[in-house]
Amino acid sequence: MAILNSIISVCYYLISAFVVFVLAKSIIKTKNVQDAILYSVMLMPFILRILRIK
Amino acid sequence: MYFHAGLILAVIAVTFAVAKYFKLSVELSMLLAAIAAGIVHAGGAIPVRHLVEGSFTYLDVCLIFITATFFMNLLKESGGVAFMVRKIVITFHKTRLLCLFFLTVLLLIPGALTGSGAATVLTVGTLVGTVLSYMGISEKRVAAIIFICAAMSAAAPPVNLWAMMAAAGSNMPYVGFFQPLLVLSAIGAFFAMFFLGAKGKNVELEKALKELPEPPEKMNWLRVGIPFAVLIFLIMAGRIWPFSTPTIGLPLMFVLASVSAILLSPKKLQILRIATETIHSLIPLVGIMIVVGILIQVMALSGARGLISLGVVTLPLWVLFSTLFLILPVSEGLLQYAVAPLLGVPLILLFNMKGMNAIIALSAMAVMWPIGDILPPTAVVGRATVMELKFKGHYYKDFLKTALIPMGFVLLVATLFLIFSNELSFLVGG
Amino acid sequence: MTDRNLLIVKLVSLALVAVALVIAGIQFHDHRNYQEEVVKGPGVTQVKKLSDYFEPLKGSINDCNIYIIDSGVPGGTAFLIGSSHPEEPAGNLTAQLFVENAKLAKGRLIVAIRANQSASRVSRPGDAYPLYYTIETPWGEKKFRMGDRWSSPLDSWPDPEVYVNYPSGQLLAYMDVRNFNRTWPGRANGMITEQTNYAFMNVIKEEGVDIFIDLHEAELEYPVISTIVAHQKGADIAGMASMLLTSTEFRIGMEYSPKSLHGLSHREVGDHSDAVSILLEAPEPFLDRVRGITDEKLLLTGQDEFVVMAGKYGLLYEKIDEKGWPIDVRVGRHCSTVLMIFELWGDFNPGKEVVIQQVPRYDEVVQNGTGYYFRDPSKAKTEDIYYE
Ligand SMILES: [Zn+2]
Repeated sequence: MAILNSIISVCYYLISAFVVFVLAKSIIKTKNVQDAILYSVMLMPFILRILRIK
Repeated sequence: MYFHAGLILAVIAVTFAVAKYFKLSVELSMLLAAIAAGIVHAGGAIPVRHLVEGSFTYLDVCLIFITATFFMNLLKESGGVAFMVRKIVITFHKTRLLCLFFLTVLLLIPGALTGSGAATVLTVGTLVGTVLSYMGISEKRVAAIIFICAAMSAAAPPVNLWAMMAAAGSNMPYVGFFQPLLVLSAIGAFFAMFFLGAKGKNVELEKALKELPEPPEKMNWLRVGIPFAVLIFLIMAGRIWPFSTPTIGLPLMFVLASVSAILLSPKKLQILRIATETIHSLIPLVGIMIVVGILIQVMALSGARGLISLGVVTLPLWVLFSTLFLILPVSEGLLQYAVAPLLGVPLILLFNMKGMNAIIALSAMAVMWPIGDILPPTAVVGRATVMELKFKGHYYKDFLKTALIPMGFVLLVATLFLIFSNELSFLVGG
Repeated sequence: MTDRNLLIVKLVSLALVAVALVIAGIQFHDHRNYQEEVVKGPGVTQVKKLSDYFEPLKGSINDCNIYIIDSGVPGGTAFLIGSSHPEEPAGNLTAQLFVENAKLAKGRLIVAIRANQSASRVSRPGDAYPLYYTIETPWGEKKFRMGDRWSSPLDSWPDPEVYVNYPSGQLLAYMDVRNFNRTWPGRANGMITEQTNYAFMNVIKEEGVDIFIDLHEAELEYPVISTIVAHQKGADIAGMASMLLTSTEFRIGMEYSPKSLHGLSHREVGDHSDAVSILLEAPEPFLDRVRGITDEKLLLTGQDEFVVMAGKYGLLYEKIDEKGWPIDVRVGRHCSTVLMIFELWGDFNPGKEVVIQQVPRYDEVVQNGTGYYFRDPSKAKTEDIYYE
């Protein structure tokens, strides 16, 4: 059970990493200034979580 | 303290207004307001840690939101949604009321799973809208129906983001809300559908089918149904055998249900593209939740949240009962999900104190909030509705005005639930 | 906007976010890794690890110290824990005060200062808690971590769709799978918080604990406050303690642990072991939702105009005025209540006494301050310093 729970936990880090990937891609692609700023702010919680800081 | 907290509130209001005046989006205006308030509170310094920490407040909710929407989008792309709409139309085109009934149920599903009215509009709204217009319902009535049903789907259980956020803020379990939320949202959705859509004719089957997208030939009820069954199984398994199943969590449950949808899809799905598009389309909604968390943290830091709470809890109950039906939707239009922690939490506190049934009371409020998604400045779901349906009428004179009566009805029923929360406590469950 | 300007905006906003992440990230990292110094008191005879009682916790963040103060004279065994909820500082301060001062004349006392380490190393998003608080001592300031009610998601992710308490089957909010006082009696193959409770149950069983006390604080808006919550096995002691304390030191209530409310220590420890379980609540205005500015000052003084105003509207379950509820008052209440309960335990159970000396009572803590009772780590021998 402990192993299963750790695998599941890893899945959540992967989901978060995917969100970061899409956000980063969106920042590069967007032509809208305001969106670019918002996307960068949205990166914050996902990045710190993936780095296991918070 | 009163002066300081009042000053912070003023800084937030002014910064928000000025930013909006300069055509900044709601999210960025809120972010600027939070930063400005933080700087004023800290006497010139930027409380960086608080700004970053606040962005975590609704991280779990965001993940549920993203994965649930991904699941719904997969069903749409695989043709599952079109399949269900066509089946309903073909089976019930001779009995108008049954047809309307099942279309309403269909409209409730995406929002119930994702907690977002926009998800309903984007995944099933257009298709149902097409059918309704071939049933002799005018364009503005169709738009109003789709909006109210989308709002009610957002309120519908299991996922009601307002109730979840407010419950989390008041250390109250998000348990027992299923039935009251289901009753309220179903009453609202069916009323809107039958009140606005009762008169008309039976579906012009040929024309409607022609306009509805064609699902892949191999699509059938099993292929649509199994992903839902997987989802329900995972949820139930966690409740029935909690000690022999691992802790999966809602987001991963949606991912697993999505995997089954991918495997069962008759056509090959471009998973990466759909996932990317899902997140991309959700950016405004996830963005606002992250920014709301930052704003709430700065308000808590500076005492502004306390001042609002104090203002709310010291009002007499009758004042609340007679004004909440206006305050809740209007504040939703202004601040989106921020209203749940800001107003919801102190209200729950007050209701508890006054011996009311907090679950019924919060359910009632959590159904009134989404109604505000048609109101400016944000009008998230209202705007999505008119855009997706390619509505040609006037937003206020046609669309909003037509929606007013069902909106009033929902607000009235919810207010009654508030007032009679104790008498209705038998509804709590699930 | 030109492509060039757009690119500049993108780079600048990313750079600003990166700077913010570095600044905040360092603070979060330091907070999670900050070690509080505990100087072993004259009475401490042994310091074990929680993992000595449940192997899988070895090396995990929740492997806290278990301090054993043994008089060597036969008697009863008492167990005192702080930081079930690390956002309630009077709990861990009182527990540490016992570890650094208590000497026993009879029986044994076991203490855990930071029962849920993981929760003590994370701050709560959206609530703007300070990361640390400092207590004045005669030799300088002593710094403590301010924690959260729930274990860190870094140690327990994800949460279930709904949390089902083991073995009662009671449904609780999803995040309460990380709430140390909702996960009793614990589950060996559960999430880390449940495993920690399981380990604590093992301590209670293996050490033959007779009486168990869990230290808490609560917001004034919460009905269970300034009170002793007791399992029915300890109702006589708790009722008597409440009466005696109210007539001699300060007003404190007593209530029965509800039989149908599961996952809490006052219910489950009593139900699942031979120990009598008791939980203490002190008033902490810092936790109130209507509170004003959220900072270390409010945490330590318990003074808040908004909370006072809520009291005037009859919205609180405990009195409050401009003097607030200072930390020394809260720690003092816990000290006296714990001592009173142990005394009564001895009176009711001859032969199983736990006689504690050199721990101050309410009046002394309020007069001298909590910090007066902490030992100076710089003057202690290295082997006497432990970290929480
Ligand atoms: Zn507590």
